[in-house]
Amino acid sequence: MAGIVRSAYQLVSSNWRKVALGLASTAVFLLIWWLYAAWLRADWPFHGTPSGAWEYVPYPLEVLDAFYLSFWSHPVSGLYMGEHIYASLKRFFMGFILAFALAVPVGLLMGRFWTADAAGKPIVELIRPIPPIAWIPIFLVLLGVIRGPIAIVFLGIFFPILLNVQFGARSVDPTLIDAARTLGARRLDIFLKVVLPFTVPYLMTGVTVGLGIGWMCIVAAEMLGAAGGGVGYFIFVTAGNSQFPYTYAGMLMIGILSILTTGVAGLVERRVSKWVGMR
Amino acid sequence: MGGNAVTTSIAISSLSKVFRKEKKIITALSGFELEVREGEFVCLLGPSGCGKTTVLRIVAGLEEKTSGTVKLQGREITSSGSDRGMVFQEFALFPWRTVRKNIEFGLEVKAVPEEKRAVISKKYIDLVGLHGFEDSHPRELSGGMKQRVGIARALANNPKVLLMDEPFGSLDAQTRNLMQKELLRIWSATGKTILFVTHSVDEAVFLADRIVVMTARPGKVREIIPVDLPRPRERTSREFIGVRGKVLAELDEEFEKARAKELSHD
Repeated sequence: MAGIVRSAYQLVSSNWRKVALGLASTAVFLLIWWLYAAWLRADWPFHGTPSGAWEYVPYPLEVLDAFYLSFWSHPVSGLYMGEHIYASLKRFFMGFILAFALAVPVGLLMGRFWTADAAGKPIVELIRPIPPIAWIPIFLVLLGVIRGPIAIVFLGIFFPILLNVQFGARSVDPTLIDAARTLGARRLDIFLKVVLPFTVPYLMTGVTVGLGIGWMCIVAAEMLGAAGGGVGYFIFVTAGNSQFPYTYAGMLMIGILSILTTGVAGLVERRVSKWVGMR
Repeated sequence: MGGNAVTTSIAISSLSKVFRKEKKIITALSGFELEVREGEFVCLLGPSGCGKTTVLRIVAGLEEKTSGTVKLQGREITSSGSDRGMVFQEFALFPWRTVRKNIEFGLEVKAVPEEKRAVISKKYIDLVGLHGFEDSHPRELSGGMKQRVGIARALANNPKVLLMDEPFGSLDAQTRNLMQKELLRIWSATGKTILFVTHSVDEAVFLADRIVVMTARPGKVREIIPVDLPRPRERTSREFIGVRGKVLAELDEEFEKARAKELSHD
């Protein structure tokens, strides 16, 4: 009993220590930021920056203020932050769903059949290293301001999922397939009951990596124009209007959105791995 | 079982297997002959690389033969199937499935209804002594327990024969001895025909009705040694040691031949 109490105490205190360390490092970061902003504004005799550089570095509290106001009383291009978030999320999930729906079957096929691998490899290897951002000008003209950003997000998410699923499908232990065969499994059974569950953890890694890249892509894509707003668009417009506290507020929002989607993916991963019995 | 008539379970005749490794052509088996009777326990024994696992994999339908015939109850084997259960040295359990779900795999594939699956899996869980571990995952089990799952999984399909590829090869000596006794108990409870590959003379003499000693590559039957000792066998008895010595002598000669061949190749 005493042991249980002690280990529970250790768990709580170790978590508390982690939280405390995170808060401390964030405080240090904010302090350095604040000092830098103050330094830019100070009227030192040896300062030597007569330009308006201070304008680009608002105080942390100004950013927080702008973040708050953007939701309630300061629309950008006639839209409040909530509407920008909605527009971005919509594009993001469209791109994600498309990428997921295509990358999983293609990855499984390329991982299991040398013919699919041989046929797909040149195309994948050629397109994969091209930064999705490079497609922006073409997609915006070809697909427009609504489907264009979706296509960019799609490209950003597609390849991490594809490569991880392919690697997972290729790594299936051959004795597991032998075992399934001696238990009467045919090709489809092996695919659904051995290859697919084996690949799930790899798939989830691909999803996590893809989500991060997806947010990078959507900001870039929306900067060149987005109908109905978007957080990337919000950043671009406020910077153009020299409303820099708002620009930083938009950047903060991207960080928060990325953390949220990664968190959701983590929850889904736990559910799925429980479902396939990995945990 | 099946009246007094002795019927043949597995019939292998003039089996050969040639495979290509890079540019070398390797003859793994050549003119391998064996008949296993219904309900019999036969051990395949031979120097490493003699092709004993290849024989088993061909019977399982996991590998294609180059020539010859392999029949199960008079019917030619062409591919893998649930009428031949296999137990692997590396256990080959599905890590994402619980013990119960591993055992039910073959039944799921056959689309046996869930309630019936539960009844069958319970029967084999009890038979191999896994009661209380139904909902554990393989990683939570010791090697011996894992192989109990492997055996139950193969038996749940009610196969005509059980093919075992060095199933206790990765277990420690103590567990190995225990599992050999357990296997004999399961064998007498189910009456299955067992074809068992091992490189341990001791294991073969303890388990088998007949021991098939194979030659070095290309593998064929060198000698079939019947073990006419009553079970349970005593490893330290004079008779046991006698049979062991006879098998060892046969095997040693093959080892020497294999070594001489290797040396002449270098």
